Amino acid sequence: MRALQVLGLENSAYAGRALLAAGVALLLCGCQILIPQPQDEYVNGRIRITYWEKWTGFEGDAIKQVVNRFNEMQDRIYVDLITMSQIDQKALIAIAGGDPPDLVGLWSSGLPQFAEKRAVMPLAPFMERAGMRKEDFIQVFIDLNCYRGELYGLPTTPATMALHWNKRMFREAGLDPDRPPRTLAELDEMAARLTKYDAQGHLIQVGFSPGEPGWWPWAWGFWFGGELSNDNEITFDSPENLAAFRWIQSYTKRYGAAEMRRFQSGLSTNFASPQNAFFSEKVAMELQGVWTANFIHQYAPNLEWAAAPFPSAVPGMENVTIAECDCICIPVGTRHPDEAFEFMKFLCSQEGSEMLNMAQQKFTPLKKVSPAFIKNHPNEYIQLFIDLASSPHACHTPDLSIWFEYLDEIAAAFDLVRFGLDTPEHAVSQVQQRASVMWKRAEASIERREQAEGKATP
Amino acid sequence: MTNRERRNLRTGLLFILPWILGFAMFIAYPLGASVYFSLCDYSVLKPPVYVGSANYEELATDPVFWQSMGNTFFFAAIFLPLATALAIALALLLNTGVRGMTIYRTIFFLPSLTPMVALGILWMWMLNGEYGVVNHALNYLLRPFGVEAPTWLQSTTWAKPAIVLMSLWGVGYAVVIYLAALQDVPVQLYEAADLDGARWSSKIWHITLPLLSPAIFFNVVMGLITALQIFALPYVLTNGAGGPGRSTTFYTMYLYNCAFRYLRMGYACAMAWILFLIILGLTLIIHRASRRHVFYAGG
Amino acid sequence: MPAVDDAKSNRAFAGKRRTAASSLAIHVVLLCVSLLFLFPLAWMISTSLKPLDQTMRMPPEWLPDPIQWKNYVEAVHYIPFFTYARNTLIIAVLGTLGTVLSSAIVAYGFSRVEWKGRNTAFIVLLATMMVPFPVTMVPMYAVFRLLHWIGTYRPLWVPAWFGASAFNVFLLRQFFLTIPRDLSDAACIDGCSEVGIFWRVVAPLSRPALAVIALFHFLYCWNDFLGPLIYLINQDTFTLALGLQFYQSRQGGTPWNLLMAASTLVVTPIIALFFFTQRTFIQGITMSGLKG
Repeated sequence: MRALQVLGLENSAYAGRALLAAGVALLLCGCQILIPQPQDEYVNGRIRITYWEKWTGFEGDAIKQVVNRFNEMQDRIYVDLITMSQIDQKALIAIAGGDPPDLVGLWSSGLPQFAEKRAVMPLAPFMERAGMRKEDFIQVFIDLNCYRGELYGLPTTPATMALHWNKRMFREAGLDPDRPPRTLAELDEMAARLTKYDAQGHLIQVGFSPGEPGWWPWAWGFWFGGELSNDNEITFDSPENLAAFRWIQSYTKRYGAAEMRRFQSGLSTNFASPQNAFFSEKVAMELQGVWTANFIHQYAPNLEWAAAPFPSAVPGMENVTIAECDCICIPVGTRHPDEAFEFMKFLCSQEGSEMLNMAQQKFTPLKKVSPAFIKNHPNEYIQLFIDLASSPHACHTPDLSIWFEYLDEIAAAFDLVRFGLDTPEHAVSQVQQRASVMWKRAEASIERREQAEGKATP
Repeated sequence: MTNRERRNLRTGLLFILPWILGFAMFIAYPLGASVYFSLCDYSVLKPPVYVGSANYEELATDPVFWQSMGNTFFFAAIFLPLATALAIALALLLNTGVRGMTIYRTIFFLPSLTPMVALGILWMWMLNGEYGVVNHALNYLLRPFGVEAPTWLQSTTWAKPAIVLMSLWGVGYAVVIYLAALQDVPVQLYEAADLDGARWSSKIWHITLPLLSPAIFFNVVMGLITALQIFALPYVLTNGAGGPGRSTTFYTMYLYNCAFRYLRMGYACAMAWILFLIILGLTLIIHRASRRHVFYAGG
Repeated sequence: MPAVDDAKSNRAFAGKRRTAASSLAIHVVLLCVSLLFLFPLAWMISTSLKPLDQTMRMPPEWLPDPIQWKNYVEAVHYIPFFTYARNTLIIAVLGTLGTVLSSAIVAYGFSRVEWKGRNTAFIVLLATMMVPFPVTMVPMYAVFRLLHWIGTYRPLWVPAWFGASAFNVFLLRQFFLTIPRDLSDAACIDGCSEVGIFWRVVAPLSRPALAVIALFHFLYCWNDFLGPLIYLINQDTFTLALGLQFYQSRQGGTPWNLLMAASTLVVTPIIALFFFTQRTFIQGITMSGLKG
């Protein structure tokens, strides 16, 4: 019986063979036709510059506009814009592998890492040759693109953060809808009046919560006059930062940890939707960025809102804000850095920058702005955000190569304090301790590497 | 070696030649390199610098490392038994030959097919503390007792169980394998048991499970290897942050962050090889245990 | 061997003729569990048909109002969907062919031939699955760069032709071990070489197991995100898994309904594939089961 089976199946073995042959044929054809060709250095006689950017959707359309304009207005260079997700990871591997793009769009928070490892080119010589000056840009955005004093990138789309509040909810609570809190204490007081509970004692509306949206857990110290680091060490364990964490804890105590968690979990995690906590009027005040107006127009057009600088806890310290930006850099190892910089020059010129940032609904990183830009800008408070960028108290991520590790420590501490699982004192001292270890380790690593490189050079 | 042994050796090696070539070309160098990197300070962007055992020493005192290891073992210890029991139970159900079996099988396999990006969002949605369907149903049952359903992904205690729950949805692969193995249990054994008047539960315990044990062995080993390396789901859910408060920071996620976020590839490689040794050790233990408990019907 | 039919499994489980009541009970349980398992997919489809402002409404609503079929049309134009689908298909087909062939050959060597050092080599094979992928990513990239394969599809399907999938080799090996010795001995007596035994005896018997391997690998290629992310450069060459990422914007707002529509489209071919092939492999592995 078994032998019969074997014989019987023999016939289908032929079918199997035929299938295999077909597959191999497909394979051989595939090898020829279907494999993507390596990229040409020249396109129609123009030098091809590859530019990897992260933006999709309407932000992606904005940069496409600028790239097209550049390609139209000259015929020596062709910029090939490629949209990449996970751009920092992809850039890392490509640069390390030795075949990087000619231009890459990074985030300001990640720039120090690349700069410290000298994976992106210093731009001072390019700037000089092109006649561009650092002073043309708003200072804080140049700072964000510098590492230890050297410029490694140029800002493309900047952002600052401000207090956004709901006028209708203010009115309802008996507060003047046009008067935002001017000090942090006032904000706490107003928040209390704006908080509502239902019959079972559950929160249904909250005046303010440090965890909403909770995108900058590292920055609250700034409003208390604290610093994250100085030239020599991590300065997280300072009275100012401690005060900030105590303030965060005060909100947890006010609402009760369990109740706050319950309320928080009922808030939509989807920023861009009508269910966003601020848009759906569950939260009366929050710290948010310049892009918010755009989303309010789209998802909550009837919302009555306004923006003002987020108040600080230090009397006399005004216009405190967080500044961040997207950067554009030239990776080390590209073939045409000069041509790449030519595009950067256009992108960061008044024409290019205004085109890009108008479409992305942000402001430009340049000091000089055309009046039409401000007049036509859809964000009614755009001037506020521009002014905040020039404030002496515009704070930003430190230029530390260990920033992400440090940030993750702070974020974990923030969570623990916010959920009532740790005291501010302990959390802050833990962060200080671990971050100091990271600092020392990073210094030792740089020293080691420089020694190794010193030995290597003849 | 006898002539026959020599011939068999040559034949064996010839057959596994594709793997040997592949190993030499694509796998050996990356594996070897990562061993070397684990002894180096390597940031990917710069050449590695030898530091001896510094990475391993640092790991011993790294609280996040231990936390991630604890999180991972917690997950594996809860997930594996549940997944095995669930997969076997489902396979038994799907083997009863009721009508519409093909449709049921497809349905059970569906979650394993869905792209992770969609699954992540769906689950965040369903486990929402206030309005998620899971809590809707749970509160129905619990509120009469004065208990509230947990806030799942916002809670440091319930985030990991939430991930276990989500991972259980992917048992489809194991079910398919069990199903196939079940088909092969000889009917005569069941019939003999029936003659002895056995209940269905003892039939399962004394006939089905022992004959299923090789498949169980396969799935447990594979399950262990994948559970200890869990990465994609928590990464998508927490955007790589492993929160809240590091409760969902699993081993491979921390490893990945060390490698690509903190640019400490050497450190990550050290972690990788420690995990490798752990998995290898556990696999060998299971293998040893299998000699006693796995029944090979033989051919 | 007689084809497995449901009648056999009937008796295999219950032993005696099932009553209508127990049939009903089983149906009820199956239905309940099915509902649980269908949940994510049902939600995905429901969301894919909603207008954007309804997608994340709380409390959740199941029925979109109105049902927006045009989401699917939009989703397909948001990214070069069909190009990406074609690209994914190319990689998946080439990879699956390679995996089936090479896994079978390699698994045969690990199971049907007795040679010294076989078990050690097998453990090495298993061990390659135990090293987390992030640490091999960078050196692998270096290898492919040396071969000038970055930017092409080759890193995604060529390793499959060299038995790179340890999982598949392990699975097939388990299966091959259960095929009775007498079959190969019989062929041996007939004068078959080892290759002959493989090609004429073992392989045809394993067709269904091979079908499982094919399905699993196809599925893997279809959903693989990390591989294409690292190795592909030109946007025209991207795959569907990469394409799905494009719907997700950091601050631009994700069009959830389009993303779900695209995800549904991405899942549907696989569901169909599974549905139509399940008979083959459940029937087939049947023949000897997964015994040691």
